[in-house]
Amino acid sequence: MNAASPSILAALSPSDNEELAQRRAVLAEIDASCRGPLLFLFSGSIIWLLVGTVFALLASLKLHNPEYLANYSWLTFGRVRPAHLNAVIYGFASEAAIGVTLWLMCRLCRTPLLFGWIINAAGVFWNLGVTIGVVAILAGDSTGIEWLEIPPYATPILFVSYALIAVWGVITFRFRREKHLYVSQWYLLAALFWFPWIYSAAQILLVLDPVRGTVQAAVNWWFAHNVLGLWFTPIGLASIYYFIPKVLGKPVYNYSLSVLGFWSLALFYNWNGMHHLVGGPMPAWLITVSIVASVMMTIPVITVGINHHLTMWGSFRELKTSPVLRFMVFGGMSYTLTSLHGIALALRSVSEVTHFTHSTIAHSHQGMYAFFTMVMFGAIYYIMPRVLQVDWPSARLIRVHFWAVAIGILLYVFPLIVGGTLEGMAMTNPDVPFVDAVKPSVVSLTLPYLKTRSYSGMLIFLGHLAFAISFGWIVLRWAQAGRLARLKTSLARV
Amino acid sequence: MSVLWILFVCSLVVLPGIALLAFRWAMRQGEFRHLEKTALSIFDDDEPVGQTTDCFPGGQRGKKPAPTRPPNPISRPRLPEA
Amino acid sequence: MNYGPILFLGIFLTVASSWCGLVLIPHLQFGRQQPVKIEETGELYPQSRPGIAQQGMAVYQANGCIYCHTQQVRAEHFGADIARNWGQRRTVARDYIFDKPVMLGTMRTGPDLTNIGLRQNSVTWHLQHLYTPVITSKGSIMPPFRFLFEQRKIGAKPSPDAVPLPKEYAPEPGYEIIPKAEAKALVQYLLSLKASAPLPETR
Ligand code: HEC
Repeated sequence: MNAASPSILAALSPSDNEELAQRRAVLAEIDASCRGPLLFLFSGSIIWLLVGTVFALLASLKLHNPEYLANYSWLTFGRVRPAHLNAVIYGFASEAAIGVTLWLMCRLCRTPLLFGWIINAAGVFWNLGVTIGVVAILAGDSTGIEWLEIPPYATPILFVSYALIAVWGVITFRFRREKHLYVSQWYLLAALFWFPWIYSAAQILLVLDPVRGTVQAAVNWWFAHNVLGLWFTPIGLASIYYFIPKVLGKPVYNYSLSVLGFWSLALFYNWNGMHHLVGGPMPAWLITVSIVASVMMTIPVITVGINHHLTMWGSFRELKTSPVLRFMVFGGMSYTLTSLHGIALALRSVSEVTHFTHSTIAHSHQGMYAFFTMVMFGAIYYIMPRVLQVDWPSARLIRVHFWAVAIGILLYVFPLIVGGTLEGMAMTNPDVPFVDAVKPSVVSLTLPYLKTRSYSGMLIFLGHLAFAISFGWIVLRWAQAGRLARLKTSLARV
Repeated sequence: MSVLWILFVCSLVVLPGIALLAFRWAMRQGEFRHLEKTALSIFDDDEPVGQTTDCFPGGQRGKKPAPTRPPNPISRPRLPEA
Repeated sequence: MNYGPILFLGIFLTVASSWCGLVLIPHLQFGRQQPVKIEETGELYPQSRPGIAQQGMAVYQANGCIYCHTQQVRAEHFGADIARNWGQRRTVARDYIFDKPVMLGTMRTGPDLTNIGLRQNSVTWHLQHLYTPVITSKGSIMPPFRFLFEQRKIGAKPSPDAVPLPKEYAPEPGYEIIPKAEAKALVQYLLSLKASAPLPETR
């Protein structure tokens, strides 16, 4: 046995070396203090992941097969699609993000998770809010505003939940034992601060007291783009900045660069949203501002890219042994790719063709899935064994998960980018009919790509099942280990 | 549209106010000094630089053959035997 | 690292400033536009929708037509919107001042609907199309909205509301397809969609 092999278990199993064991106890104490809230949040997020994937598959199948399950109002495409979005964004991704944020905050502040009940209460409210929201969307009660479909009677519940989390964040930060703020903490604190600001501003200006006319569209895309840029992206990047160095045991390549990356992201990202409205009924200056800001995004993207890839440089062999690293590196590479692609899409001449096509959808999945979701998977693989003090039950399941979702998402994104671009080229050519019984048309041209997407969706679903099984199993193992330990102590007492 | 004005005041007064306070605090904490050192703050004696901290389950229990290359003393120092 | 402090201050300001720049200033610039008098017709444009069309808008909203249809026409030489006859002019902010919510849309899985009320003003066409889109548009991938209709036994005499359907889509003999109130309202909404009045800013 190679003494130098990586050491989840070494970290977990009580060591003979008393002193070492004691030092480990600090980390272990922090990890253990997160157990309850994280189990709750991650279980919730995985259930939403499965629910959201089912909606996604339904929507994808319905798009090329419109008669499929067509007679149920609550399963019509126009309801299943927003149900999918809200289930994965607010159910899965946000919940996983909150879980990972908690753990990272505790670890980086070097303080155990205090007031776990706040988080548990927040988790209950959050799940309640999302459930009511998704059911309402299926029942036909959507607000009709993209990314904000959840009706106004469910959003206050989300607010309460969010407020609790923010309060918790402040408390934890207040009681921190580590003086230095690592770059991940900048990102996490910023995200915790930004999200309520953009969410409440958008709710007020769109739902409670709507502004007039197309200003609504401006608010809408200011919000929808910032959810990605100021909520998911910072948490994703915070995770990458923590886990890659941590797994490799290698400090980040250039720390100052990471700080620059953070500030430039904060500076430019929130001005990006209007590039969703290129050519729309808005003053040109508004859109130009966003295009310029989008192009400026090259700065944070390149700094993050340099840091991430150069930290990895020379350590690619670890990808063979570390599942966490695989997901993280996949996510990091996707971040670079998707951001550069996004910058290109914001340009007027490109947008003229690709706007309104499936390539936008491909792009958003590249960001939300190939980057963010993969990073969350990796983080959960790292966190769970430490929090539960048992190892993952099956390497095979992890491999199945990784390969299914990795191949699945590549098969989703790249063909659909191509298909969407072709669709756009056909759509901007008035000689191609939009739809036709026999002639090639804009609609018929997209069909093969839409079908490919359904296959990729099935593969991704398979991966998610493997993940859910793994997760259920490790929880089961932990429960059993707990029972065994209790048995032992009671036997010892006899 | 009075809501807009409330938000406007928030954005121009409250947020910069918070920003200034946060900034003053960060300066006092010395947050902007010793940046490169901060990169090391995620490591400690338990999990020092040079020690990888993740592997596939079973990777250590010998179910899968351990990596064949010789341990690299720089990237992976010896751990105390468990 | 002395550029750090400057950036740190800048960041909080930018979140606020982006809000001012992308939300507040647009609101001040075009958030209070009013209808104008069109010289040619002497009428005010735009006008708020009649009640039934407003109800139809709720149906449009509930069933997610927005995920496949846009309601915006881009300018003459930007894309082929006008060449495809989706409108005679580009749409401008004033066209939307009475819409709540504004449903510009971001996807064109189906054609733009800004001017569908001009392009297709037959109620029967719309009802047939909503009932089963391939009746009117072969090759369509638009989902059928049959749940907006009900199948009824024909009474003493056929209902005047019944949707005429080609044989292969018709219900079994003795039954007829009647649009529910939602379907009727939705069609009224579609018919109300027109943005062709020559506004000063589009000339
Ligand atoms: C899955 C995407 C999809 C959804 C959802 C959808 N449509 Fe469509 N729609 C299409 C496609 C594709 C076409 C073009 C083929 C056709 O005419 O059926 C179309 C065409 C139309 C047309 C005819 C446009 C023209 O220029 O001839 C109308 C009107 C229409 N849709 C209304 C609606 C309404 C109302 C809803 C919501 C209740 C809706 N659509 C939902 C995809 C969709």
